Amino acid sequence: MGWVAFGAWFPSEPLPSQVQEVSLISAAEFARLSQDVAAPELSPEPATLAVPDTANLPEVAPPPAESTTETQPEPVTQVDPDPVVEDRPDPVPEAQPEALTEITPPSPVEVPELPTPIRPAERPDAGQQVDRVAPVPVAPPPPDAAPDEVAQPEIAPEEGAQDPQEVQEATAPEAASDRIVTEENESDAPVASAAPARSVRPKARPQRPDPAPEPAVAEAAPEPEPTPDPAPEPTPTEAPADRADAVGDALAEALSGGAEVEAPEPSGPPLSAGEKDALRVAVSSCWNVGSLSSEALRTTVIVGVSLSQDGKPDTGSIKMLSSSGGSAAAARQAYEAARRAVIRCGAKGFDLPPEKYAQWRDIEMTFNPERMRIR
Amino acid sequence: MRQFLAGLLIGAAALAPAGIVMAQSTPLRIEITDGVIEPLPFAVPDFVAETGTAGELSAQIARVVAADLAGTGLFREVPASAHISRVTDFDAPVQYADWKAINAQALITGGVSVNGNRLTVRFSGYDVFSENMLGEGLQFSGTTEGWRRMAHKVSDAIYSRITGESGYFDSRVVFVSESGPKNDRRKRLAIMDYDGANVQYLTNSSAIVLAPRFSPAGDQVLYTSYESGFPQVHVLDVARVQRRILSPEDGVMSFAPRFAPDGRTVVFSQSRGGNTDIYRMEIASGNLTRLTSAPSIETAPSFSPDGSQIVFESDRSGSQQLYVMAANGGEARRISFGSGRYGTPVWSPRGDLVAFTKQNRGRFHIGVMRTDGSEERLLTSSFLDEGPTWAPNGRVIMFTRETQGASGRATLYSVDISGRNLKPVRTPDGASDPAWSPLQN
Repeated sequence: MGWVAFGAWFPSEPLPSQVQEVSLISAAEFARLSQDVAAPELSPEPATLAVPDTANLPEVAPPPAESTTETQPEPVTQVDPDPVVEDRPDPVPEAQPEALTEITPPSPVEVPELPTPIRPAERPDAGQQVDRVAPVPVAPPPPDAAPDEVAQPEIAPEEGAQDPQEVQEATAPEAASDRIVTEENESDAPVASAAPARSVRPKARPQRPDPAPEPAVAEAAPEPEPTPDPAPEPTPTEAPADRADAVGDALAEALSGGAEVEAPEPSGPPLSAGEKDALRVAVSSCWNVGSLSSEALRTTVIVGVSLSQDGKPDTGSIKMLSSSGGSAAAARQAYEAARRAVIRCGAKGFDLPPEKYAQWRDIEMTFNPERMRIR
Repeated sequence: MRQFLAGLLIGAAALAPAGIVMAQSTPLRIEITDGVIEPLPFAVPDFVAETGTAGELSAQIARVVAADLAGTGLFREVPASAHISRVTDFDAPVQYADWKAINAQALITGGVSVNGNRLTVRFSGYDVFSENMLGEGLQFSGTTEGWRRMAHKVSDAIYSRITGESGYFDSRVVFVSESGPKNDRRKRLAIMDYDGANVQYLTNSSAIVLAPRFSPAGDQVLYTSYESGFPQVHVLDVARVQRRILSPEDGVMSFAPRFAPDGRTVVFSQSRGGNTDIYRMEIASGNLTRLTSAPSIETAPSFSPDGSQIVFESDRSGSQQLYVMAANGGEARRISFGSGRYGTPVWSPRGDLVAFTKQNRGRFHIGVMRTDGSEERLLTSSFLDEGPTWAPNGRVIMFTRETQGASGRATLYSVDISGRNLKPVRTPDGASDPAWSPLQN
């Protein structure tokens, strides 16, 4: 049945277009062409069939062979794709699927399962776009997350972006101020710390004479981006050379000045998440709330402490900065338990990286007993 | 161009100082949410005998203090054998390093002097690792016979200073002392220190006595006696050991009495015409007010600390459950909805919890729940636990545990409201129906 339909269809359409070309070529050449071309024919047909089911291929294969040998209309079919391709030079990749669509009408009978042949005609774009669209929405979130982290400098958005960037002020500060404190990571933090460090001196003077700093500018460029705005950069495309120079000069000054001043770099790199966790665990292991009253167990206290360079807490520096959730008496009990924790577990010095002393010299520890409460 | 540059420079200029400030002044912030719950190690070296005759008492007082603190389960004593330095002078500076070395986080030192029958105890507490005193040192004076009470007061002060809660050591417990086999058990009222010391008997064993309850001032005890052949409520003056019948009405069974917080009225159950309801009586006038009027059994009333409400048990719903009503009676709301039966509710001195006995699936439990019935928490489970009573600070519950079988014996137990530190209270004989007194003055 399928064969009949197949054979009937091929001659019907190919004939009109076939007539012109066939007439131009001799029969012998035709035969050659038909044989040569017959092979390529296999590809389009099997392609359509092969996609759905590999098993169908062998079945489909024989018919083209027969058609090529028995009748010439098949070569005509090959001729069709050519003109078709000519008609659609633009969509090169899509041209094939469409060509298939034309051919498919006969095949639907054989392979009704194929949703693909139907879709290419109706919504070829939609199907492809879905794949493309999916990655697109995924992409946006990262940029959102990135600005939050980058926006660390809480002060930066206010002062630096007063006029030019209100948008960032609204969006970034909310997530930035809170998350940055808690999420500080190795990769994020260094950016924040490096930026202020190098920008220390620039404000002092607008000297341009230094062409040398330009190379440094390139390096510095990534740093300023987070704090001020990524937006300004794309706009300057009009005169990239000039602005690049100007910006480069400005930043170069800042960098050069800052580098000199901050050679010692009192701030140093921030603690990594692992280092902070280690400190947290160390204090936790000595934070004994077993003897606290139920009210004290509802009281959160923030304790400030200064450490010496060997990691030992300065007992005299320990003080309660604030408390919440309980009475003053309860806060005192909670604070004393916290103080005992700091002193006891810090007696031998907390294991902190000495090179980052400036980062952990002063610590604010929040002791939140919510999870330790008797339920 | 220029504007952009200007903005950029201004921004950079503004950022620079801010960045410096942040880098230099912003402290590292961390949050501690996971601690440990373990007894706080403390050391109590023998108190210094400051007079020649105080030697024995100085050591005994220190032992009682140590037992009090360790008995709470919140503290752990570092034994004397581990002490590095000896305290020979109460006024001498503390050698913190020696106590840090043995991880004694709290240190209690004291001095004892005896002049005739006069006993004086001075003491101080220290936060060893902070090298600070735990509050100001205190001094108590009394008779040598009352040395245990003074030790308890020292413990209360230290406990309060460290935990932030009032103590409960200088308190007493009235209970029913039981002796003899189960089928011929003799019961009599007895009173003792909270730790089982100084047991004294308030009644003889000629009649069955039940459910003693302290007055708010701790000077009187209500209890139920079968002296007349049926249960009647008696009130007993603890100091003089004098008693009288509070509800002298013949033929009316009265039981389960309890004082109101003001000490002037009492509530109890009376069974009239086969129906048991809760009544309120003014002690001075004897005026009686009926608070419930259901055909079911209402009993075991207990006031809220502010005297505005009463929690009681009733089987009006078909099974024994807990209800709360206004102190003047009226509509009651059920607060217990778990499976099993609930009884003997007692309102916490803090006012936030109700302790109760629960019977479920053949076992008894002591539990606590909030006064609205939420957050029910069972603290114990055994063959027979019943009759909870609150420590004055609302942190500990004492109750009766009875073992199974013909030779079963009733014993007093205490447990922290967290469910930890379950332990028996030593008494000379069997004991049941404990009632904790308020802190003594």
